[in-house]
Amino acid sequence: MSWSNENRNEYLFFTEKHKNIFLLLLLIFFLLSVKLFYLQIVRGNYYREVSEHQRLSTTHERAFRGLIYDRNNNLIVDNITNYVALFYPFEQQYMPSEESIEKLSEILQKDIKKSIETGWRYGRVVKLAENLTVNEAFKIQENKLFLPGITVVKEPKRRYYDAVENAHVIGYVNELRAEELENMENTDLRVGDIIGRCGIEQSFDKYLRGKDGGLSFEVTAKGRHKKMFNYNAPTIGNTLYLTIDTDLQKVAYKALSESSSGKGAAIVLDVNTGAVRAFVSCPGYDVNKISYVKEYRKYLKDKKLPFFNRCIQALYPPGSIFKIITFVAALEELKYNYHIIENCTGSFELGDRFYSCSSKKGHGKVDLISAMAYSCNVYFYKIGLALGVRIIDEYAKKFFLGEKTGIEIASEKSGFVPTPDWKKAKTKMSWLKGDTAILSIGQGALWVTPLQMANLISAVSTRGISYQPYFVEKVRDSVTNKIIYLHEPVRNEKIELSNYTWQQLHKSLKAAVEYGTAKRTKFNDLKVAAKTGTAENPQGDDHAWAVAYAPADNPQIAVAVIVENGGFGGSVSVPVIREILKQYFHITEPDPEEDENNKNNKNKKNIKNNKKTKNKKNKQKNVKR
Amino acid sequence: MLNVKSIFTKITENIDITFWISLLYLLFVGFTAIYSASFNNDNLTKFVSTQGAALGIGVIGMIFFAGFNYQHYKHFYKFIYIFSCLLLVSVLIFGMEIKGTKGWFKFPFFSFQPVEVTKIMLILVLSAYIDINWRYIKKLSVFIKTLLITFGHFALIMLQPDFSSTLSYFPVTLVLLYVAGAKLTHIFSVVLYGSLAVSIPLLTTFFKLQPELLETNKVLSFFVNATSQWQNAAIILGSVILIIVLVKWFLNKLRIPIGWTYPVLFLCIIIAGSFSSIVVNKSLKEYQRKRLIVFLKPEIDARASGYNIIQSKIALGSGEFSGKGFLKGTQTQLGFLPEQRTDFIFSVIGEEGGYLFAQMTILFYFLFVWRALVVARQARDRFGSLIATGIAVMFAFYGIINIGMVMGLMPVTGLPLLMVSYGGSSMVSSMFAIGILISIHIRRFY
Repeated sequence: MSWSNENRNEYLFFTEKHKNIFLLLLLIFFLLSVKLFYLQIVRGNYYREVSEHQRLSTTHERAFRGLIYDRNNNLIVDNITNYVALFYPFEQQYMPSEESIEKLSEILQKDIKKSIETGWRYGRVVKLAENLTVNEAFKIQENKLFLPGITVVKEPKRRYYDAVENAHVIGYVNELRAEELENMENTDLRVGDIIGRCGIEQSFDKYLRGKDGGLSFEVTAKGRHKKMFNYNAPTIGNTLYLTIDTDLQKVAYKALSESSSGKGAAIVLDVNTGAVRAFVSCPGYDVNKISYVKEYRKYLKDKKLPFFNRCIQALYPPGSIFKIITFVAALEELKYNYHIIENCTGSFELGDRFYSCSSKKGHGKVDLISAMAYSCNVYFYKIGLALGVRIIDEYAKKFFLGEKTGIEIASEKSGFVPTPDWKKAKTKMSWLKGDTAILSIGQGALWVTPLQMANLISAVSTRGISYQPYFVEKVRDSVTNKIIYLHEPVRNEKIELSNYTWQQLHKSLKAAVEYGTAKRTKFNDLKVAAKTGTAENPQGDDHAWAVAYAPADNPQIAVAVIVENGGFGGSVSVPVIREILKQYFHITEPDPEEDENNKNNKNKKNIKNNKKTKNKKNKQKNVKR
Repeated sequence: MLNVKSIFTKITENIDITFWISLLYLLFVGFTAIYSASFNNDNLTKFVSTQGAALGIGVIGMIFFAGFNYQHYKHFYKFIYIFSCLLLVSVLIFGMEIKGTKGWFKFPFFSFQPVEVTKIMLILVLSAYIDINWRYIKKLSVFIKTLLITFGHFALIMLQPDFSSTLSYFPVTLVLLYVAGAKLTHIFSVVLYGSLAVSIPLLTTFFKLQPELLETNKVLSFFVNATSQWQNAAIILGSVILIIVLVKWFLNKLRIPIGWTYPVLFLCIIIAGSFSSIVVNKSLKEYQRKRLIVFLKPEIDARASGYNIIQSKIALGSGEFSGKGFLKGTQTQLGFLPEQRTDFIFSVIGEEGGYLFAQMTILFYFLFVWRALVVARQARDRFGSLIATGIAVMFAFYGIINIGMVMGLMPVTGLPLLMVSYGGSSMVSSMFAIGILISIHIRRFY
């Protein structure tokens, strides 16, 4: 019997306490079991997921973005492969170790420490170096044992053909930053994803972006890859077919860059659909190079502002191009007889001020048609004053001034048409007759974009029928090869004018080519209608405008050209139009004789000499304005 | 002395089925998990064979200790104590250092951790001392002397330093005193003193790991600052005195008279505990304190001190009901689970065997402890009961601390799961302890 030598009570006393200990231990082991049940049964699913997530590492393989073709099926954007070194974090290491950084620097023969600090993170992945050569990539793979967690992956890189000419149409791409992602909703994008930044790359990002793929690995706690699971091949983005004609782009860009200032814009529209055939802002930039900081800074510092899309972002006064609107309004509203002849003496007196004409000597006796052809300001001052500001504004709006054209790329400006109410609110001065006079020749606080002018001349050519300009003809799915997007022309509101008005307008525009300011677009085999303009610019040299459509009797294309600070429209911008038309209609006709070129040069000089006097006049005007 | 044949018949007569099945299950699960945890090691069978060898030595020792009459220990308990102290001193002099702890004797083919053996010697010594002095057990002097015996070992082990191995000493000593009939006031005082001394520095460390919490919670930051600013400490001490006086006054009003002894004692313990916490704080390094307390919220230091607990919980939890299968646990095989052969062996069982095997392990571990307690109840004399209780409680607390640790309920201390974890010394000493239990069991009628 237990405790045989002891008092029975002592033993009972012991067993009582002994029982308490037993119960205490029972309770503790029961609680442990409860916790075990909680961990493995209640929360088991969660922990299973965590452990799966922990053991699988997915290398990310970026998809190629879609290809872009021009109108003639010439490839303008495709992709090349770039090798990138990435660090995948493992165990308790979230950055590569000092030794592996040193080793990598040794292989690449440059210090990568800085680029790690400033470089992006792809989720938890750290980018160490990019643009590796094949040799370097192989060396890194060979030294994998000394570079735990570091992998080389192929990454697509965009390649742009005719990059400078097409820059403002296509735009460019770069990596999504973390702070941008914060502002985006409902997106499956991740930091570091490539997205389009402007132009078509941005507007059609959804179509161009491919589907990323990758390899799933099982990794050990030390970050070594153990076995491969599955490989999802990335899918290339969809193919875009543009309306742009690259040859035309090149010709237009060349003509613009060889013009007097080398700055400007040229737009060619298909009048029957609104398709943009050329869309050039000069100077452009090489999209292939802007990912290099040095080149990017160079472009930023360039005073010619290569990143500035002059086609849709720049605002200029339309100058004499606006006379088209004054002309139309006069015929429609005043039942104006175009035979009315005025005598132009070179200036026009209104109140106590003189308003000059484009020709200093004056055009002599002109009727409406020849006033248009010669771009006589005096004639149009008179019409404008007879019309009044409200009617002019009404017609300006009819021709879509002051509103966006709705083209597919972002950051288009809407321009501005001044009204008496606006002036009152802005300057607290009432609208004067002088304001009406200069408005009627397209000066004053009137602002338009080159694209609006192209749209305007396109509408003129087809008697009021115009379409929203567009770039993308169709999108082809890269997998199924089916067309998944086809552009349908969007018709703008028709400009309702009498036939007679259209007839007279077309007649006057043809006259400008025949004997007027746009003589240089005259071809033997092609009838052209055009209008030039010289927009006075209080900040600097005049802007040279020219708009045209051809063939005059059966219009196909409408062209608008501006050479910023170029000088006289007839001598600076019209030659650009001539080059564009020659290319588009495949005209081999030689340019007018050498003499004329010499004359041009002389003219230019004369213009430059005149400028000083003109500027003085401008200043006077500015004060009065 | 009994001859070999009669020992054999005694063992067979006295086979306790539950006890042996539990032991065999634990050994089986342990060897399986060690094999799985070393599957990715170059030397696949090294750990299993080492463990097997230890088990062999252990079984031989077990048979020896089973045959040896436990009652003799009482006669030379002083020699046992001196010998165990000598072992601990010599390991400080001749020992080998592993991971900053000088706790191993290195021999040509194996190394040996004396603390694993001395923990059993201490149980024998304590049982003997309490048994001899049981009539005076309610006396403070006997109580303190018993504590001093433990403290001698504790101090020597802390010199190695090996904090975790001393952890089971406190519950074992206190439980032995409790079952022997020591005053509850004494036991309670020691518990309060110890928990104050340990919890103040640990909790301070814990809250300092969460600076944003301290910024928003002013009360908390006041208490945390009390460890470094004496003004705060004085305010807290003053309010504690005030509360004690108020409670005493209130109880007197309720006609429950309380002398001044208890309040003063209570206050003294609080003050002593608080001051001792400074010593504890100094003796533990920053990373040790972090490791001990981070289990409350491992996420706050997920990459460093909390990493082990997080990985262990993932391993356990992801096993779900039926486990990922033998050699198929991703946490174990890919090396996410740290210390998988030793401290976190239970997580390996939980991951690969699932809830099924993990719960069975807890169950059989408890059954094993229960049978050991039954041995204590059926023992022939008080000495045997005390030894068996001590051994049972030691096994129980090793299990509780280890399993609690891998589930994130207790500090990460590095105590093995006895009979399951890899480790020769602990396996051998466990077998010795079992031998002593058998010795007590088979002699219960004589």
